[in-house]
Amino acid sequence: MKDKIFGVLQRVGRSFMLPIALLPVAGLLLGIGSSFTNATTLETYHLTHIIREGGLLYTILDVMSQTGSAVFNNLALLFAMGVAIGMAKKEKEVAALSGAIAYLIMNTAISALITAKGGVEAMAANSTTSVLGITTLQMGVFGGIIVGLGVAALHNRFYKIQLPQVLSFFGGTRFVPIVCSVVYLGVGVLMFYLWPIVQLGISKLGILVLNSGYAGTWIYGIIERALIPFGLHHVFYMPFWQTELGGAMLIDGTIVQGAQNIFFAELASKSTEVFSVSATRFMSGKFPFMIFGLPAAAYAMYKAARPEKKKVVGGLLLSAALTSMLTGITEPLEFTFLFVAPAMYAVHCVLAGLSYMLMHICGVGVGMTFSGGVIDLVLFGVLQGNAKTHWIWIVIVGLVYAVIYYMVFYLMITKGDLKTPGREADDEETKLYTRQDMNEAKATKTSNGKSNDHISALIVRGLGGKKNISDIDCCATRLRITVYQPEKVIDALLKESGASGVIHKGNGIQVIYGPHVSVIKSNLEDFMESADTDTLELGVSEAAEKAPEKKEVLANSIQLFAHMSGQVVPLENVEDDVFSQKILGDGVAIEPSEGKLYAPCDGKIDSIFETKHAVNMVSKEGAEILMHIGIDTVKLAGKYFETHVSTGQEVHKGDLLVSFDMEGIKEAGYKLTTPLIICNIDEIGEVTETAKGNICPGETLMYIE
Amino acid sequence: MKTFNYTITDQVGIHARPAGTLAKKAKEFESTITLEKAGKSVNVTKIMAVMGMGIKCGDTVTITVEGADEEVAAATIEEFFKANL
Repeated sequence: MKDKIFGVLQRVGRSFMLPIALLPVAGLLLGIGSSFTNATTLETYHLTHIIREGGLLYTILDVMSQTGSAVFNNLALLFAMGVAIGMAKKEKEVAALSGAIAYLIMNTAISALITAKGGVEAMAANSTTSVLGITTLQMGVFGGIIVGLGVAALHNRFYKIQLPQVLSFFGGTRFVPIVCSVVYLGVGVLMFYLWPIVQLGISKLGILVLNSGYAGTWIYGIIERALIPFGLHHVFYMPFWQTELGGAMLIDGTIVQGAQNIFFAELASKSTEVFSVSATRFMSGKFPFMIFGLPAAAYAMYKAARPEKKKVVGGLLLSAALTSMLTGITEPLEFTFLFVAPAMYAVHCVLAGLSYMLMHICGVGVGMTFSGGVIDLVLFGVLQGNAKTHWIWIVIVGLVYAVIYYMVFYLMITKGDLKTPGREADDEETKLYTRQDMNEAKATKTSNGKSNDHISALIVRGLGGKKNISDIDCCATRLRITVYQPEKVIDALLKESGASGVIHKGNGIQVIYGPHVSVIKSNLEDFMESADTDTLELGVSEAAEKAPEKKEVLANSIQLFAHMSGQVVPLENVEDDVFSQKILGDGVAIEPSEGKLYAPCDGKIDSIFETKHAVNMVSKEGAEILMHIGIDTVKLAGKYFETHVSTGQEVHKGDLLVSFDMEGIKEAGYKLTTPLIICNIDEIGEVTETAKGNICPGETLMYIE
Repeated sequence: MKTFNYTITDQVGIHARPAGTLAKKAKEFESTITLEKAGKSVNVTKIMAVMGMGIKCGDTVTITVEGADEEVAAATIEEFFKANL
């Protein structure tokens, strides 16, 4: 069970990487843009004459801020689609579409129920938000994740569904968005009733925090961090920042409620001597771990990465660390270790909570616009003077935090062998790497030739045969495979294929290759779909298991194109028993209008009859195709035929194979009907659809599924 | 296991039509029937493989029949060769 969860988390974490890669950029845009368009900030620093609303500079900053926040506002949608893509086993684009639809449907269902209940006013304060113009419950990224996971599960279950004939148009992948819409309508209704309970629990927690002093501040900090993955932190801290839960104070004759409001009122007031720590305790704690702690953690991950991976992970970690440091947007960094090493996130939460408490104890009074980066520290701490803010403690505590984060993270990663970015198993790889380089060089030379296939073959065998492989994916450096029976995996074979290490976690297998892993993955996928897998299987599994195995290899539909111009003739109507009774296999014939035979797909010429009237080829999917020009034309002994390819040659769809003299053959008394037969049709599926009427090369002749 | 040799007398050798009918015949039996020529052997139910052998008039092939019904299968297949090839 635990291993299964690891397998799922591994996939979830990986599927987050696509939207997360966008966050640092969006974070910088938002951080810089919003800081310098904030009216309070501008007034405080007398920048209103340089950056004024409607002015060029203001507009540029505003565009930055707005576009940056567009990403953050729609993060849930990005996750709904990103997770669906990452978790779907095949036809990922359909999963993405379904994720978007399901997300819209779920929120719209919630929205309709909110209206029915009496609108936003009838709901608890801060519990609603607007998503893509839909008024819905504040569910944050969590809303996107439940959509992504659910859609992927539905997708993997239904993307091959066969519906009754009349409804067949809606079958297969087309069924996925449909079923997702229906299911998420239900989920939306369910969430409307369930989610407010979760929200209520959190706001109750808030009240508890308020009444318990330093310890309360600590707990506030822990909870705030712990809620980030669920997107619930806004529900939690906003009441402190914006309502009387965060305190109320008389400033310059007006009652001001909420921690952030108090801070900015004090900032604007000329009579403030020291900022109220009772308010800033809900904010200042962010600075030490966002500016110092997390970047140090990133450095620890970088140091713990394998030397050859450092370059790759360095870029990711550096940009994430800079984002956290400058703007106080921590998600890019936190999400890099949240799923691969939840224990590290737990430690991070405790330390973050402690940071809030220490700031409270030290009397640090630095507020913020929305998060604790250097920009806010300078504006609201340093520039206000140490006497008012005691900002110096942020640096002191921060430096200590940097050391603690570095040491704790580095120790946890190395001792616990946590799989943070760029981390691999044991280090016997130096010599293996040499071999890998060699293989790589060979692979490049023959480009997609035998040598690649050899590697793929080794991998498949190392993983216990094709039947043992549930799904294949990869991250920056490693192949991630889920297998059915982990005990069948043979590490030695995998290492022979150029891997530097193999990690077993229950059904999840990670094989480390290095940055070129995506190429290995693509080759492997192609190989898995090719016929070569069959011959390979013979050596690995029982011959008896061969037949169903083959069917699986060719589970996807094969598309064949017209092998000549002319009129399509159903095989049953060909005037020759051996074809019409399908003794040679199933297929379709063409009555040619031009004396040329073309390749119906990519593949390899298996053999050409000495009499040149028939060509055997094997498609890359393993379909054995016989093209037989005319009926009984074997008797012409090659006269009127000219071949343009030879046995063993690789051909592409549309290549000219044979040209023939139509008049000559007709005059000799033979029919020109040219059947295209799949000789091994029993092993690979069935002909599901054939063209009718006139056809030209390049047009689809038939599908096999 | 039953084995027999046969020299092809049909003018055009084993082309598409005989390969198809031979495979059809062979599928009637449980036994595995293989065709061997010049060290290369194929299962006769594999139509394309049989065609790929390029067996011509005058070639001598070895047929091997192995399985539960090999007696009757070998006899029938030999009959088939004599009648058609």
